[in-house]
Amino acid sequence: METATAKSAHPVYRSRGLASETMRRLKKNKGAIIGLIFMVLLVVVTIASGFIYDYEKDIIGQNISERFKAPGLEYPFGTDQVGRNIFARVIYGARFSLAISAGAVAIGLVVGIILGSIAGFYGGLVDDIIMRINDVLYAIPNIMIAVVIVSLLGTNTFNLLLALSVSATTTVSRVARASVMTIRGQEFIEAAYAIGVPTWKIILKHIVPNCLSPIIVQTTLLIGTTIIATSSLSFLGIGVPAPAPEWGAMLSEGRDYMRSAGYICVIPGFAIMLTVLALNLLGDGLRDALDPKLKK
Amino acid sequence: MTENILEIRDLVVHYETDEGCVQAVNNINVIIGKKTILGLVGETGAGKTTTALSILNLVPNPPGIIKSGSIILNGVDVLKLPPKKMEEVRGNDVAMIFQDPMTALNPVMTIGEQIAESVMIHGERSKEKALNRAREMLEQVGIPASRSGDYPHQLSGGMRQRVVIAIALACNPKLLIADEPTTALDVTIQAQILELIKELNRKFDTSMLLITHDLGVIADVCDRVAVMYAGRIVEEGTLEEVFNDTLHPYTEGLFNSLPNLRKRGEELVPIKGMMPDPMNLPKGCAFAPRCPYTIDECTEAVPELKKIGSHLVACRRYEDKNFRLRRNS
Repeated sequence: METATAKSAHPVYRSRGLASETMRRLKKNKGAIIGLIFMVLLVVVTIASGFIYDYEKDIIGQNISERFKAPGLEYPFGTDQVGRNIFARVIYGARFSLAISAGAVAIGLVVGIILGSIAGFYGGLVDDIIMRINDVLYAIPNIMIAVVIVSLLGTNTFNLLLALSVSATTTVSRVARASVMTIRGQEFIEAAYAIGVPTWKIILKHIVPNCLSPIIVQTTLLIGTTIIATSSLSFLGIGVPAPAPEWGAMLSEGRDYMRSAGYICVIPGFAIMLTVLALNLLGDGLRDALDPKLKK
Repeated sequence: MTENILEIRDLVVHYETDEGCVQAVNNINVIIGKKTILGLVGETGAGKTTTALSILNLVPNPPGIIKSGSIILNGVDVLKLPPKKMEEVRGNDVAMIFQDPMTALNPVMTIGEQIAESVMIHGERSKEKALNRAREMLEQVGIPASRSGDYPHQLSGGMRQRVVIAIALACNPKLLIADEPTTALDVTIQAQILELIKELNRKFDTSMLLITHDLGVIADVCDRVAVMYAGRIVEEGTLEEVFNDTLHPYTEGLFNSLPNLRKRGEELVPIKGMMPDPMNLPKGCAFAPRCPYTIDECTEAVPELKKIGSHLVACRRYEDKNFRLRRNS
């Protein structure tokens, strides 16, 4: 790239953004690429499943004559206790897990970054108030918070999303606060003040972008844990209401048939595991790719 | 009045910490005229950087408090300006070059964007034009404009310092403060950067406050010199006056601790002792405990900066008409 610059006769403004730079380095990490491909495939398949299958007929429609069919040619993943195609349900069900986790993490990101950077930048009393409330929430297991919120507000998908976003917010705001505090004291922030950059612009343009790497990494990992939390709540019966094909709910329904038809349980379990594994691999790769010290 | 870009009068800055009050800057007066380069020399902890930050009104508060004094920059007292107005002054009237180019640049912005940001804050509306100006500035400091899309980590230390200088100069400040601009660089790069600073100073007609502890840098670049010790200016004059006709014992001590090219083999004489604890300054002259010429009167009251011979010096020994430093006799 150095030589390309030297060769060009006319100086051209050329900027390689953070995104393309990260992508370039991510490609070197096999695990991360596998994770990324898996996630992209999952999203594509989930979206496609909406066009292929009819929700009323194929996903929740019962077909007693076809029940407990072992995985085979006709039903790749077999059928469950009421004769529903598990393959269809699993790939259709991905949308619940993904959408709820992504939604909850997105809310967590926005609120968490705002709270975290305010706490980290201003410090003092503001910091104390925000972070102590945060600590209290952090001390309670996130499933517990979610159970309380969902039982208070009622079982529906929106409340579930809200409940899960609370724990996402606590994690994000902690990470954001810690990075803001390290960046805040650096000389380039002082230098930005010295050329007259207003405070809000310093926070938005100089501090927050420098804090993004750990937050991006945290986000991928957080989506993983939130998927597990969503499934756990559905497993407990307070997540996505039946008969929607949420992975945790499928697991829960299938556990009575563990001995005779284990695949009913195992397959959604695998779906959860593989998705979280893919996200963790991706997060791990991103951590390496975003580390400025490893830049070449 | 309008002749001077900067007039610092009776500036006192203290850091009030839990352990006590650190008297960082005690009653100093500095005047910088148009197009002059003033060198501020002193050892670590003498209050040089605090003085510089005061000019930008950026002394970290708490614990730093500007106790009294005024800083008239281009006819305006910056200490009395509201924060909004102060933001306009920074960069327009005064800009600063920081010591460590490794940390003075934002690692996630391209250098072009960072210079452009400085340009845009000070009046330029179009991003396109600002980026063009950034490319011009890069050429000015000796970096090919094609590298404006690079991130700081892609540049060497010397090049980063050039970028820092470009950012500071991008909006044509009237006063440039350089806080040890060459300390973090190796010697050959130091020479290049000093050459660049001198050249740009001529080209842009800026005045400059150069902070350093390196007398060689001062000799190379400055018109005037102020020697700082324990938060006070102990000697001030033109480069020739201070270097050839040294008056203060501390300045003499600084020169004695430098190797002399003409007298090779001569032993270096360091200044004995340590700088006094700035939380607990002696009652009299702060340098008295280390000074080879100390007499009883030195410890009684703080000497004032007075004109002795050609330039200003703060030493009570000159009350005796026949007093001479060993270096001059």
